[in-house]
Amino acid sequence: MPDLIIDGRPVRVPKGTPVIAAAESLGIVIPRFCWHPALGAAGACRMCAVMFLDGPVKGLEMSCMVPAADGMVVETFHPEAVTFRRRVVELLMANHPHDCPVCDEGGHCLLQDETISGGHALRRFPGRKRTYLDQDLGPFIQHEMNRCIHCYRCARFYQEYCGYLDFGPMQNANRVYFGRFASGPLESPFSGNLADICPTGTLTDKPGRYKSRRWDCQRAPSVCPHCSLGCATVALSRYREVVRVEARENPAVNGHFICDRGRYSFGYAASAERPRQARADGVPTSMSTALALAGTRLGGVVEAFGPEAVAVVGSARSSLETQTALTALARAGGWRGPAFFADRTEQQAVAAALAALAGGRARSLAEIGQADAVLCLGVSPLHDAPMLALSLRQAARAGAVVAVADPRPATLPLPFTHLPLAPDKLPGAAALLTGAEAADAAAIQRALPLSPELWPALERLAPAFAAAGNPVLVFAPALAAQAPADARFGLFPVLCGPNAAGAALVADADAPACDDLARAIEAGEVKGLVLAEADAAALSPRLAAALPGLETLVVLDHLPTPSFAAAKVFLPTQTLFESGGTLCNNEARLQYAAPVAPPGEPVSRDGRGGHPPRDYARKLPGTDPLPAAALCAVLALEMGLDMPALSFAAFTGVGPEDVAPEGTRATRLPAAPTAPAPPSAPPGQGLVVVRDDALFATDAYGRYAPLARAQAPAASVVRLHPDDAAGLGLADGEALTVTVGDRRIEATLAVSAAVARGAAVVPRLPGWAGLPAAIGPETLRRRQP
Amino acid sequence: MQVETPLVLLKNRHLGRPATFEEYRAGGGYEALIATVGKRTPAEVLQLVLDADLRGRGGAGFPAGKKWQGIPAGYVGPRYVVVNTDEMEPGTFKDRILVNTDPHLVIEGIILCAYAVQATEGVCFIRPSYESDAVLIEEQSQVARDHGLLGDNILGSGFSFDIHVHRSAGRYICGEASAQIKAISGLRPNPRKGGPRTSVKGLWDCPTIVNNLETLANLPGIVRNGPDWFKSLARSAGGSGTKLFSVSGRISRPGCYELPIGTPLREILDHAGGMPPGRVLKAVIPGGASTPFMPDKYLDLEMDFEPMKRAGQRFGTASIMVFDQNTCLVGATLNLMEFFTRESCGWCTPCREGLPYVRHLLRLIEGGQGEEEHIGMIKDMAQAMRSAYCAFAPGAAEPLLSLFEYFEPEVREHLRQKRCPFGNPPPAMRGKACGTRPPTFGPTPCPEDQCPI
Repeated sequence: MPDLIIDGRPVRVPKGTPVIAAAESLGIVIPRFCWHPALGAAGACRMCAVMFLDGPVKGLEMSCMVPAADGMVVETFHPEAVTFRRRVVELLMANHPHDCPVCDEGGHCLLQDETISGGHALRRFPGRKRTYLDQDLGPFIQHEMNRCIHCYRCARFYQEYCGYLDFGPMQNANRVYFGRFASGPLESPFSGNLADICPTGTLTDKPGRYKSRRWDCQRAPSVCPHCSLGCATVALSRYREVVRVEARENPAVNGHFICDRGRYSFGYAASAERPRQARADGVPTSMSTALALAGTRLGGVVEAFGPEAVAVVGSARSSLETQTALTALARAGGWRGPAFFADRTEQQAVAAALAALAGGRARSLAEIGQADAVLCLGVSPLHDAPMLALSLRQAARAGAVVAVADPRPATLPLPFTHLPLAPDKLPGAAALLTGAEAADAAAIQRALPLSPELWPALERLAPAFAAAGNPVLVFAPALAAQAPADARFGLFPVLCGPNAAGAALVADADAPACDDLARAIEAGEVKGLVLAEADAAALSPRLAAALPGLETLVVLDHLPTPSFAAAKVFLPTQTLFESGGTLCNNEARLQYAAPVAPPGEPVSRDGRGGHPPRDYARKLPGTDPLPAAALCAVLALEMGLDMPALSFAAFTGVGPEDVAPEGTRATRLPAAPTAPAPPSAPPGQGLVVVRDDALFATDAYGRYAPLARAQAPAASVVRLHPDDAAGLGLADGEALTVTVGDRRIEATLAVSAAVARGAAVVPRLPGWAGLPAAIGPETLRRRQP
Repeated sequence: MQVETPLVLLKNRHLGRPATFEEYRAGGGYEALIATVGKRTPAEVLQLVLDADLRGRGGAGFPAGKKWQGIPAGYVGPRYVVVNTDEMEPGTFKDRILVNTDPHLVIEGIILCAYAVQATEGVCFIRPSYESDAVLIEEQSQVARDHGLLGDNILGSGFSFDIHVHRSAGRYICGEASAQIKAISGLRPNPRKGGPRTSVKGLWDCPTIVNNLETLANLPGIVRNGPDWFKSLARSAGGSGTKLFSVSGRISRPGCYELPIGTPLREILDHAGGMPPGRVLKAVIPGGASTPFMPDKYLDLEMDFEPMKRAGQRFGTASIMVFDQNTCLVGATLNLMEFFTRESCGWCTPCREGLPYVRHLLRLIEGGQGEEEHIGMIKDMAQAMRSAYCAFAPGAAEPLLSLFEYFEPEVREHLRQKRCPFGNPPPAMRGKACGTRPPTFGPTPCPEDQCPI
């Protein structure tokens, strides 16, 4: 713990802290461009020069390059350092185009800050300015090379931190160019962070370009709802529309960055298709009419068939507030539910996954970056939880062994071993790698007799995992039973929705699941259903099929799902951006997303592209939606029910007032339930259906975000192992017709040895939800021309 | 006055072509290797080099033995020797002469170094314009291999070592050790600063010794004749060995001369035939382009690392560029700045942006458009360039700052006459394109008249 003096103030910092960070801990912000806490020191911009008056280093040095040491006396305002920094700004500004009026970075530009604070106002240099041609870097990042000050942050982030090589520095001297060999979309799924880390307007957020000045935006800390990790974000809203999402630092979860799915899938909130008006029997009506109608209809069902004939369904994408309100409503009415999961097995699996976290075995995303061995079991990191891939890369950079045992093809920007195994083989593979002793060759061959191609890799991995001091098991909830008793192993479940953990905590252990309700509807026991922020088609095809058997269906949502279309009474709800809410992420960490903007039709549509309307007398369009929790309360009032005052603290042990800015772990985890049996081979012949996420537009929100949808692959792809494809007589690239229930879906076949034998990998899209657990030649057929 | 000086490195030069294996052998070549491999321990060889006080010939003068000692004791795994034959310092051409004189002297030196540090692979990093040298080393390595002196199980001792030739894509910065290692690894050759030395973590993260080719060529002599002999070669008190001096510029017989280290500049110039008739020496650049101008008052300074450092000068690569009274030093400095501007790796601001800045102002001054304020601006920036990331920009600042230290009146004469007093035509303000790539290369089209470099 070195002690040093910066600008006359003593400070003690942990060993290895650079002087620039030590100064920051005193509140002294030394000017910088290239230094970034996540990327470390580069020493390229030379902006953070300070004077070292005493100690092991003397003279003018870069505060980012020098680790703090005992006895250092540092002066940040030494005249020599100030003069040098002036020269650096003068050099950087010699070529900068001064196009601040049209630059999206204006107002949060480091170059502006340092130029102004350094007092550089006049250009002495008589030479011409250097210019570059820009490239088209795809839909997310706008390139303006003339503004570049060559801090190398983008290249260090893109290549070193993320491990993608299609973007980087080219040429030398004063021609250094940050770009690609040719124009084209950036390949990294983390490319959006370039806009955050670029200290100038060279790389800016393309979808948000020219939408608003940043200081004109309403901003609020938010939480990403596009997978279960719960990365911290900042939502920026302008003219009743979220225009940009930026990464927010949460050292325990996402660090400084977020993935492109989380950054560019916000469009569902302002989408033109978003239902914003209440409906009664498909006819737009006022909120009060719809609420009254919902009350009457549900009341009628209760009167005719008893309270048991009404059921409530919620989902893993609602906030804890909504899930709690649904529970309170169901309890008040004596109704069934709420059901949050497709079936009992899934609910038990998620509960078991959370139960396994007890005893301090939960690991955060940041801790995965420090693990020395990670096994991803039934998880495809880049698609199930993209930021997990970035954490794995940081672990791998520090020398960790990474293995992915998953039936789906896996691509990761790091050295790793992929073990393509069918779901029923995963428990066996996990046992080989998570035992206290390294499995020997004989054990490996016994466990996986039919996969000789994986034996060498497993023989290499087993000793590495046995010797690891800080290994982590990343697992899908279905494999919760595989969590090793060995306390060395940290645990990191990856769940199926942004608040799946919350749903598992809120749900009663004996609560019905969607399949149970579907059975009850089919049996005529349930006649009325309240479907809150849940799409029956995506959640449970059986429930979706049973919906016509209902007397009344009340849907609360903000997404234009098929269930919305089927609703008898529709009540629009607010999004997380509007109502705010608490989400519980995969490691049972509760985080609060603050509301950023009131609901309303975006001005861009309302004003028909013209100047914002200034008609103050009229009611703003599209402002009907209410928070789902509030709607539950009003519905209870309409029906004369006495809704109990329930806080999610009752389920999580953490109340709304206890949720810390960086999140707070739930203190009440499910008591270890009997973990569901691990996946077994499906009865009879056939290929096990494994659902695969894409980076974009397979999550519940992304499917309704225009920009994310535009990134989704045009054609659906079914992936098979070469042996299985040969068994079906199908070849790579062939056009298929896939029969799902009574519908036919067109798809193409991709054959790859990276798919597990015996598995058919299909996209996780609502249309595919009706596939049975195992499929065969009658489902996968060559498309007849 | 010409005195015979002992020739060590260039003793086979009189042949007028590269000495063959047999010729080298006849002069006692490979005796050192035969007496060493399997007979001396690596530590003994290292001790010989430490005792001989062999200092690096690539410019910085770091003691070679000390560098070798940097390999972590007890390290298990591959170790590498990288032979720096990049030689892109303007005015330096000693390595080329050396390879073309006696390739086997170089090869033996490399093997001795490899033996001392127990390396298994050696990489000769050669600049593209030395293609013939690359071919020569490849051919002669094969000859050595055929004689069992290189490759697997050298001389039956169990020690194996082989030499690979790596052809550089050609950039000045690749001569810097850490950048060179990145270049060989296929990475962008930005120098690396901080973190472990290359002798700890170099090529493929293994301990790597990067030495100049001339440094290694001294090893056979040291090993065969001993450290005392090597030290006795020098003329300066603390010096050791001989040195190849590349003499160029306004001199009667430009060329590469092997002379004892510590020979005064005046004598070196005498060896090169002295000034041509009617020419008077104004200044020299004593150690390659990144050393300051040395005015004639230093003519009797001993050319060795320490004496020159004491006089505020730099020995560098001992490449002496001679300027006479008719040479415009502003033009000469501008020429150097054109080179450094083009060759900057582009990593840090003072280098990437500072060099074009001072170059532009020098162009203005040389072309007669200079203003009084430009002198202050150049001095400001040259000072800022001293705090750059690596030694490149500080090196480039040396001739620039010394121009103003010793020859500011000459600069001001440009301002007064509004033209070059030596009659040089105005320099091109733009577009001295490097000419090494087609204009369509890369994302930035670079037509001749718009070249930003």
